Amino acid sequence: MKHGPMIFLAAFFALSLSWFGFVLKPQSQIGRQMPTNTPPAIDIYPQGRPGLARQGAEVYRANGCAACHSQQVRQSGTTCDVALLNPGTNRAALIETLKNEKLDSAEMDWSFTQLPQTILAGVEKEIADSVAKSLKAAGAKAQVIIVPIGPDIARGWGRRQTVAADYLFDNPVMLGSLRAGQDLAGAGSRLSDANWHLLHLYAPRTSVKDSLMPPFRFLFERKKIGTHPSPDALRLPQEFAPPEGFEIVPKSEARALVAYLQSLKIETPLYEAPFTAPQPPPTENAPTNSAATNSPASGANAPATNAPAK
Amino acid sequence: MNSEMNQPIQSATAEMETPRSAVPVWLVILMVLLLYWGGLYFDQHGGWFSPQVYAPYASVAEVEKFQPPASGGPPPQGRRYYDLICALCHNPDGAGKPGQAPPLVGSEWVLAEGANRLIRIPIVGLNGPIEVKGQQMNLSMAAMGASLSDEDLAAVLTYIRQSWGNKASDVTPEQVKAVRADLANHPQAYMVEELKKLPDKIPSK
Repeated sequence: MKHGPMIFLAAFFALSLSWFGFVLKPQSQIGRQMPTNTPPAIDIYPQGRPGLARQGAEVYRANGCAACHSQQVRQSGTTCDVALLNPGTNRAALIETLKNEKLDSAEMDWSFTQLPQTILAGVEKEIADSVAKSLKAAGAKAQVIIVPIGPDIARGWGRRQTVAADYLFDNPVMLGSLRAGQDLAGAGSRLSDANWHLLHLYAPRTSVKDSLMPPFRFLFERKKIGTHPSPDALRLPQEFAPPEGFEIVPKSEARALVAYLQSLKIETPLYEAPFTAPQPPPTENAPTNSAATNSPASGANAPATNAPAK
Repeated sequence: MNSEMNQPIQSATAEMETPRSAVPVWLVILMVLLLYWGGLYFDQHGGWFSPQVYAPYASVAEVEKFQPPASGGPPPQGRRYYDLICALCHNPDGAGKPGQAPPLVGSEWVLAEGANRLIRIPIVGLNGPIEVKGQQMNLSMAAMGASLSDEDLAAVLTYIRQSWGNKASDVTPEQVKAVRADLANHPQAYMVEELKKLPDKIPSK
């Protein structure tokens, strides 16, 4: 072979360059990220998933859910809203300011009773800042609200885009590349009901009429009803119900998978993906609050309250 | 070129040679222009490999623009950890509990100008008789704050120094760090006499 060493060198150069670009550089860039708290949040984020949800991640992986469901929310831009938190005492000055800023649209509610009231929506940061400043000068209290936008966010799949920090505790990271189903990065926020998930896994068409999702009936057990019906039995519509005298009970895999789906949340603002989170109502008792948020497992036990009617 | 091609093959074993020709100048110029354009595009959109820049943001400055403004006041985790740890004995309103813990409201130990003595108490604890606001007490406090990070302990101490009508300066994480380093060879709890010998302010090195 002529030019043998040259071909070897060229191949070696090409492969090592891609190794530097795809392995070494990303590793040095984001390979050592740590969970951290982004002010004003107190809690560090992300936190590891609770045990049942971690088992559920394995069920998710084993059943190939990532083949049809992605877990990544995209964002195409960021806009700002201005919300009036408190109209202050000087109404005349406030109305004057709003008129000066050309914000006296027909829809404007001049009573200022529904607070916080959105004064201006979908503008650039500089404009929002200047409006908030002039409202402040008029004695009112206003807040600039950061609103990420994009097709995924418009579908309600998340409040912001997902970034590397969101996947710190996922191994492997099941990003997915096909969206035959919904994106599940924020599934726990929008579908928090464990019963809904169980019914949907057993028979997707109970909740979504034209669902393409295959039913995962092997995650459930069909049992003969003993002396008493099981408290965990699914309450299925007639069309999907088992024959008389039988009941459908979720196996532990189904419970774990539901706990995992409930734990998928993109709700925390990060430095690299900022947005203004809605203000939570002030909680007086911090310890009980944190205990409640740390156990989505309690949600998976919810079917216990759902005893069949008969 | 044609004349070369038309010549008969000299011998069957000879390898074919492609004639060498210079790279056209326009191609070189096009490559340089493309490279320049790529460089410009990267400069404007790449964020210079910063791990904190994701599209649609183009630079750290643009991400910084959308950060929420600093709220001012003591860091919020101060109250969180006070309610979790300290409030069991010192009461959520800082009034203390007779027989368990002295009050923090208006306490000369809390409101001291420098926080040197105050920082030491949660890190290693405090034993024995102590006088707070003219009252004699004889209690013992364990090293309740030893497990908190410098930032969190500073936030708790700032919280107790600035809540319930207390008004004193911030405690910074740097101060806590310096005192913690100083306490490395003082694992046992303090006695009040020992604390009183220390200067009020953190001695600068």
